[in-house]
Amino acid sequence: MVLNKIQEMRCMEDEVLKKISSLGINGIKRIELKRTFGINCENILENLIEKQQVFIGKKGNAYFVWTKENYLLKSSQDEPKIKKIQNNITKLIHAKSKITNHMHDVQNTINVLHQINPNIDFKIEFDKCLTESSTSIGWMPFSQIRKKICESKQISSDHFYTLASELVEKHRENYEISSGGKEGIMTRGLVHGFVRNV
Amino acid sequence: MYAYELETNPYPSSPTPTEKDARILGGKRHKEAKSAILECIKELSQKVSGRDSNGGDFRVITLIQDVGSGKTHLALHIRNLQSRHNTVCTFLDLSTISPKTMPSLYNAIVKGFEDEFFVQLRTKLLEYIRDRAEQGDNSAKKALDYTFIDRLSGVTIRQEVDDIISGKKGVSVENLKKFLIQRFNHYESTIITSVITNSFDSITNLEELLGRLTAISKLTQRFLGKIILYEIDEFDGNHESIEFVKAIINAHIPASVVLLISTPSGYAEIQSMNASVFDRLEKANYKIDLAGSNSVDELSEIVLEYIKYNDKQGKFKQQAQDDLAEKIRVLYDEFPDFRSVRSIINILYHAIEKSQELNLSKIDEFAIDETIKHTYPGLKVRGSVMDVPISDFIKIRRNCNNEDVGLQLKKAVANLVNFAHEMGNIGKLEKQNQPLDIIYQDPYGSKIGVAVVMNQNHSKNFEEISNVSKSSALVDKLVILTNTNLPSSNSATIVNIDKSKMIDLIYFDSKYTSHKIKTSDNEKAQMLAKTVSII
Repeated sequence: MVLNKIQEMRCMEDEVLKKISSLGINGIKRIELKRTFGINCENILENLIEKQQVFIGKKGNAYFVWTKENYLLKSSQDEPKIKKIQNNITKLIHAKSKITNHMHDVQNTINVLHQINPNIDFKIEFDKCLTESSTSIGWMPFSQIRKKICESKQISSDHFYTLASELVEKHRENYEISSGGKEGIMTRGLVHGFVRNV
Repeated sequence: MYAYELETNPYPSSPTPTEKDARILGGKRHKEAKSAILECIKELSQKVSGRDSNGGDFRVITLIQDVGSGKTHLALHIRNLQSRHNTVCTFLDLSTISPKTMPSLYNAIVKGFEDEFFVQLRTKLLEYIRDRAEQGDNSAKKALDYTFIDRLSGVTIRQEVDDIISGKKGVSVENLKKFLIQRFNHYESTIITSVITNSFDSITNLEELLGRLTAISKLTQRFLGKIILYEIDEFDGNHESIEFVKAIINAHIPASVVLLISTPSGYAEIQSMNASVFDRLEKANYKIDLAGSNSVDELSEIVLEYIKYNDKQGKFKQQAQDDLAEKIRVLYDEFPDFRSVRSIINILYHAIEKSQELNLSKIDEFAIDETIKHTYPGLKVRGSVMDVPISDFIKIRRNCNNEDVGLQLKKAVANLVNFAHEMGNIGKLEKQNQPLDIIYQDPYGSKIGVAVVMNQNHSKNFEEISNVSKSSALVDKLVILTNTNLPSSNSATIVNIDKSKMIDLIYFDSKYTSHKIKTSDNEKAQMLAKTVSII
């Protein structure tokens, strides 16, 4: 029984909203709504006002009702200040959309770059480890860097040394390696277990 | 006559440097390191000048770098300079001492001094005793064994001392000890006696070792006005070595500089073996950094320095220097084996010998090729499918940055396609259709288009690749060969042409156009065609 009543009210609410909307920016007289939908219409209107779906304003001596969109449109036509604010808001929305597009472009470029050179991330991480933990003379065992990077990037030890070898070979002027240690890069048939930035 | 009109081979052939080799020091980094060490010596020398030294007049220098980077060479070079810098130097190679007991370490330190040092110190000490004797000190006269009879027979104290200095006469050891004990402490007396009698007895414990080293330093400063540089090479995690160095540092041997030479690996061993010694090393007064000692510029400078030093007639002109430096660069870039001072010097030694054998006026590509073939028989150009000889490799590589390399490669790829066609690996060739350089059919009848996009400017490559990709509709498969590192897309297979592939292609092309492709080359050329996705 209660459910039926609620359902009935919802149907009526939709109809009232439809009626208000149909009259566009002219709006509809409140009294006319009462005439059309009866005494229950007042409760429905209160509900819609609370949900900010409709707005009530005075035009001449009578009270009129508008939907939210039409009310804004009407106000912007009547009030130049509101029109200006609305224009600015539109511009802001456009600007935001442009920024979002740019961000997507940048992200795409980064993705492409990463696709082209997957070592970019590795180099950053590698350099960070090297700077953070080296001794006063700058040398650091590869094993320590390997532990950190394998943990953070979830890569295997073999993969780490493949990337490290490529990195050191590609940027020979930036890194120095030294023989010794239990693990490292193989060069000249020797394990080079130490590295530093030059 | 050797290359560059040199009378001898300027490069050393021994695997580790000798003092003679170390007279030459090349390379900016090595020279900077030398200046830093000399600066430390000079500072201490000035500080103790004109006064008695104490424990505060002690310095520690560390020199940590990879094997074969020239650390020992630098240490020996500094040792050669000692007379010019108010320094006496002893060189101690810890790797040559076993077991590393206190007596053996002490003996090695004493042997590490030049004989000339003890001669000078002995003379000064005897002159000191002579002066005391001439002033009427009877115990000094007794020490010199100068007797009443000597005086009666007209022999002066000076003559007596001159005879002792020249070795004609000896001192009275017993009386010498009695004389010394009144004026010097126990260790100083022992050292003076040892120096004057040319006989160093052994020590038994660490305390004695430190006492005697302190005595040598103090006597050297007092009588010769010099400080002592202790060069300790091959310092690593060995327990005895660490204990010895720790003692030396803690003893603050006056008027002394300790130069500790190690590798990063040795340094890490010390760190794990003994935290307190490691901490002392971390706080060394000077940390000599040979960073970049194995860089190509440094190696080139070192290599050139040897020739310049031996080029007495100034025949080694700038052009010849640049030419040799260019070859060093190629060797360095392409062969990790030659990326240390020791290895590059070794190859140059052999290259000079080879050029003399071949009667060449300079080290050319052929000499290097021959040298590598004989000295490093297993060495190949990295990534080369065609087994390009090193001499050709050096020649081709020199031109790889030229603007017209793109045209050369287009021709090379066209010839490689022709070759693949002749070998029956691909079907018939079709008429060229711009912007594609070659169009042919694969064995299954699919149409393959190949474009070579090679520019120094990568933006230009991006643009060209984008244009070429539009032609993918003309063929069933599009292959783009480029020097820009790009992933393949749906429309095209991108093959990255790195320097070694570039050289392989140009080498193939020269052989193909001069009809020098042998049967043994067929397989290699087919492999090359596969690596560039032609077959």
